[in-house]
Amino acid sequence: MPGFSSPQTRRTVGARLAVVAATAILPLALSSCTDNAGANASGTTDGPIQVTSTDAECKVSAAEAPSGNLTFAVKNDGAEVTEFYVLAEDGLRIVAEVENIGPGITRNLVLTAPAGKYITACKPGMKGDGIRADFTVKDSGKQATVDADLQKLVDTGVSQYAAYVKDQTEQLVAGTKEFATAYAAGDAAKAKSLYAATRMHWERIEPVAESFGDLDPKLDAREADLEPGQKWTGWHRAEKDLFPPAGYKALTAAERGALAKQLVADTAELSTRTRTVELSADKLGNGAKELLDEVARGKVTGEEEIWSHTDLWDFQANVDGARIAFENLKPVLQQKDAALAKDLDAKFSALQAELKKHAKGDGFAYYNELGKDEVQKLSSLVDALGEPLSKLTAAVVL
Amino acid sequence: MTANFLIGLREGLEATLIVVLLMAYLTKSGRRALLPRLWAGVGIAVAVSVGFGALLTFGPRGLTFEAQEAIGGGLSIIAVGLVTWMVFWMARTARTLGSELRSRVDGVADGAAWGLVLVAALAVGREGLETALFLWAAAQASGESGTPLFGALVGLAVAAGLGYLLHRGVLKVNLSRFFTWTGVALVVIAGGVLAYGVHDLQEAGILPGLHSLAFDVSAAVPPSSWYGTLLKGTLNFSPATTWLEAAACVLYTIPVMFFYLRANFRPPLRRAEAPAATAAVAS
Ligand SMILES: [Cu+2]
Repeated sequence: MPGFSSPQTRRTVGARLAVVAATAILPLALSSCTDNAGANASGTTDGPIQVTSTDAECKVSAAEAPSGNLTFAVKNDGAEVTEFYVLAEDGLRIVAEVENIGPGITRNLVLTAPAGKYITACKPGMKGDGIRADFTVKDSGKQATVDADLQKLVDTGVSQYAAYVKDQTEQLVAGTKEFATAYAAGDAAKAKSLYAATRMHWERIEPVAESFGDLDPKLDAREADLEPGQKWTGWHRAEKDLFPPAGYKALTAAERGALAKQLVADTAELSTRTRTVELSADKLGNGAKELLDEVARGKVTGEEEIWSHTDLWDFQANVDGARIAFENLKPVLQQKDAALAKDLDAKFSALQAELKKHAKGDGFAYYNELGKDEVQKLSSLVDALGEPLSKLTAAVVL
Repeated sequence: MTANFLIGLREGLEATLIVVLLMAYLTKSGRRALLPRLWAGVGIAVAVSVGFGALLTFGPRGLTFEAQEAIGGGLSIIAVGLVTWMVFWMARTARTLGSELRSRVDGVADGAAWGLVLVAALAVGREGLETALFLWAAAQASGESGTPLFGALVGLAVAAGLGYLLHRGVLKVNLSRFFTWTGVALVVIAGGVLAYGVHDLQEAGILPGLHSLAFDVSAAVPPSSWYGTLLKGTLNFSPATTWLEAAACVLYTIPVMFFYLRANFRPPLRRAEAPAATAAVAS
């Protein structure tokens, strides 16, 4: 009868399926082993890092570790089942996890972690974002030497920066919405309080944002730089309205609404477009330099935020963006030009330390509160950093 | 104790349900002789899992997290494929049950022996490694604090007991209804297994979209509650489900269910047409 294949063929189907299953799983299993650290003598770790998860706390015995194999011994001292995650710096990508840790049980999580920033999280009850903490993996000095590894380091750095850009744009979109809502509703006090902090997310990723020639002027044009006939939209238009100079005629509610709407729409567009931007090591290096040039051109002079005087927020954000790009390239740079890496480290720290002197609460002093010599000091540190930073791209790419 | 019990129960149910339904099917259709093959599959899976788990816990090398998730996810997806094949095989043989084709059908069932072993091994194995790792950890801990291992083992035992009761209960159901509903249940479970496999692969970073949630009802259905445990154990229902998981589940369950029901609800008595219908299903 035609409907039935013979027992023979059925048997081969089954056997074939078994072979397919085995070939799919075996190589995967064999190629993805990792050393069970702690027990063996390869010796990059001094025993496991102890994690104690309770229903309300997630205690990690160390906040940093040298790169190489890491072992977290995760003990559940709570009453609920818990999970432990090591997340990438963006807080989204799972680097490693161990699930199903019942009360009273200790389970080990072993991973090979390159130097960088991570987030640890316990998830008692297996839901929500978990109880998070920052975790740093420091370079243990065990350096990769072959070219293939170098390329891997470059790729890792670039993808870390892409994650950073994604994270910043997400926060920018959310912050802009909140700002625009308050501003459109005429809640000037709230809008003012959100203005500088929200713009920081923009300023951190400015080189990427500026690669879209049409969006940058729509979002960030200053009145002084307007071309004849150009319609003025974006942050600084709202800034002037929120921090009005003498004799300024305020926008009507309708005009405010339209401006807020435009700001949100342009930011959303920016966010969509950054998702498909191709990043590369040279873009990171050049972007870092551009950010510092921005500081020298606009922030240290107080021109950027001529009405709100919140230039130091932008200053800090530009430096953040430049430093993250540098740090993502650092593993490569350390192999190609260790001296330059050291120099940049020192100069970033010096500038950051000086900037920190002007911190106030969550933010900074206003630009017009700075003394002339204070500005001078900042300016010279920016110049001092700019010089070695201009060599970063060439050192990494060539 | 309760929490460890629930882990055992959930993992036990996840592993046994498919096996139990296939067992009931073999018994009901008078092919008890094939049961040892099912058990052989279960045995292989348990042995491999326990051994592998011990090796990973106590040996010098462990699996990377991506590898663990990829194995779990990969096995789940292969298991779905095989279970689907079994369901249609069941539908086909059920239709001809009691007819003069019986001997021929038994021949076919003989040929599916490999499939049976494999389905059982996959259904148990996809959860086996994770469960074994948990049990070894619990065994290590049981010296110092209470009895986590005991709780987990009781959970597994209860899962097995529930499986047995289901098996008995299902055997009492009237024959024609039985064949339809075991199949329906298997399709629904397989849809959940598929979603679960997709989730594992998302966690491993092999598939994207881990953070795009279709819905999150973990406040209403906490994963650690007994009902959350049962939903997860039986249907692989995850209270926080990503779009990709949801899509995989829906895109699998609806068409497969449609073809399954169509294959089952064609009038079975017009014998002349039967071979043609089975051919359609087989292709
Ligand atoms: Cu599971």
